[in-house]
Amino acid sequence: MDWIIPAVNLKLILPEIVVCLFAILILVTDPFLSKERKIWSAHLSWIAVVIAFIANIRLWNLQEATFTNMFLVDNYATFFKFIFLAGSFLIILISMSYLKREEILHGEYFSLILFSTLGMMLLASGFDLVVIFLGLEIMSVSLYVLAGFKRSDLASNEASLKYFLMGAFATGFLLYGIVMIYGSVGSTNLGQIINHITSNDAGSNLLIWAGAGLLLVGFGFKIASVPFHMWVPDVYQGAPTPITAFISAGPKAAGFAALLRVFLFSFTTIKMDWTMIVWIMAALTMSVGNIVALAQSDIKRMLAYSSIAHAGYVLVALVAGGETGVSSALFYLLAYTFMNIGAFTVVIALGRKGQDNTKLEDYSGLGSRSPILAILMTIFLFSLAGFPPTAGFMAKFYVFGSAVKSGFTGLVIIGVLNSLISVYYYLRIVVLMFMQAPVTRTDNERIKVAFCAILVLIISTWAVLQMGIFPQSLLSLAQASVSSIF
Amino acid sequence: MLTGVSEAVYYILAAIIIGSGVMVVSMKNIFHSALFLVLCFFGVAGIYILLSAEFIAAVQVLIYVGAITILMIFAIMLTARLYSAQIKQSNEQVVPGLIIVSALLVITIFALSKTTWKLSSQAPETQTVAEIGKLLMTTYVLPFEIVSVVLLSALIGAIVIARRD
Repeated sequence: MDWIIPAVNLKLILPEIVVCLFAILILVTDPFLSKERKIWSAHLSWIAVVIAFIANIRLWNLQEATFTNMFLVDNYATFFKFIFLAGSFLIILISMSYLKREEILHGEYFSLILFSTLGMMLLASGFDLVVIFLGLEIMSVSLYVLAGFKRSDLASNEASLKYFLMGAFATGFLLYGIVMIYGSVGSTNLGQIINHITSNDAGSNLLIWAGAGLLLVGFGFKIASVPFHMWVPDVYQGAPTPITAFISAGPKAAGFAALLRVFLFSFTTIKMDWTMIVWIMAALTMSVGNIVALAQSDIKRMLAYSSIAHAGYVLVALVAGGETGVSSALFYLLAYTFMNIGAFTVVIALGRKGQDNTKLEDYSGLGSRSPILAILMTIFLFSLAGFPPTAGFMAKFYVFGSAVKSGFTGLVIIGVLNSLISVYYYLRIVVLMFMQAPVTRTDNERIKVAFCAILVLIISTWAVLQMGIFPQSLLSLAQASVSSIF
Repeated sequence: MLTGVSEAVYYILAAIIIGSGVMVVSMKNIFHSALFLVLCFFGVAGIYILLSAEFIAAVQVLIYVGAITILMIFAIMLTARLYSAQIKQSNEQVVPGLIIVSALLVITIFALSKTTWKLSSQAPETQTVAEIGKLLMTTYVLPFEIVSVVLLSALIGAIVIARRD
């Protein structure tokens, strides 16, 4: 037999290797740690993320594929990996005090976070539908378990089960779509799919259409777009709060990474044909998310619907397409990661053991109980609503700007109207915090915030303001990451 | 291309798959449903053999028949309520479900009949196992490695959920 071993450049996949090795290392060392020292698993995991981040910096401006064209490193993927690693870093920091408080500090938690991050990185770098699918699976399987990590809590169990059942169902759609595309192209490699679609008249090949539609369903589930959003509120509410923040930041961005890669770069010649469907999806996602969020009385549930709405804004960028569209989507996802994790960190800080305090009335009078937390929360909520001078404003500005440039003014009008609606429910919390007296409570003790959570709050606030006031440096980074593709 | 005998075998297998598939979703006793599922999986394995993919056929029998359905049957037998009761297999959503599914069927048939299939002119491999093994170690080495990570994380997940505190 003749064996042709393909050339493998391990340097390109170094960040992934680091994350994977540390995840396994944590599993191996955790049983030897005494109960008081379990926190070392957490330290190992953030060290892993930092090392992977540094390894990733060294890959900037490289454009190279390895593993027989299945794994592609380009600025687009590298930029997304920065988002994932930054998100995971912040989540690991806020998890430490939370897990200690809830007495569920186990090493597997951090190992699963790292595995999930690995899956996201593969999603961004995958240049073959098989790799994209497997990345999605690693990410999702870890998340199903993490959502149910508070095992004594029924809501957490419910979240895990619902997420798993719906996720497995969506995975079926995705796989079926991949099979149909394979059936008509004869390959799962995105490069060959591009060649096939550009050289043949794709419109005559209905199988590609069916496959693309099913892929859209599968990815639409992961990014939580309407009409595939049914799982979001229950999962976000039931999961441990750091995991809720995690699901809404990294995995959503990872879903977009694969969605943009497949639809804008592979199905680009048939863009006009699928744009209409995504147009409708974007309009529905923004409207349903924002309107239903108005009626919520639990902040985790409200942020869940807000997260649906934000997926809609990014879909607007997908509709716009082109270099400006994609770079604005990258900028948006980066901004959303920081402002969302920041907001969830405040939510965690207000909780007590076994008592999450996530009702909206728990926020009344926070301005007098803890002015600094209240001010930070206001910054994050302003950013989520899209007020200047925060990251949320610039992100929305670029997304809507790119859509206007591409001639989708109607969609932008819907988007702006939705932003106005969202102001109501974000500002309601600000009003509660500063203009209402605190509800009489039995545990009126001071709110103590752990050191790591303070660090996360500082980083998120800095990022939100930096991207809002001086957006140029990060925006040019986003543009540079897209220019290699177009 | 299918000719003569193999064509006849194909239609017999297809009838078995569809027939047992319908029985799975319509039987009153969930235990019987699980047994029909075994038959359905065997039919699919037969199709794989017909397409000279013996390895996939063997895997189909090992995993789907050998592991998944056996697991399901165990779960049914250990759950008293499931084992004895007559489970109702339909609910109030049967009509909308039927409409959506038939629409999907029409669309799928339309798409499949309009497609120009990519046909290979090569003769089917005789040594499929060796060939798959070679591909897994060369061209598909990255997915092969990633699958092991998928399994590892699933394994850890199962332990996390099942262990005692």
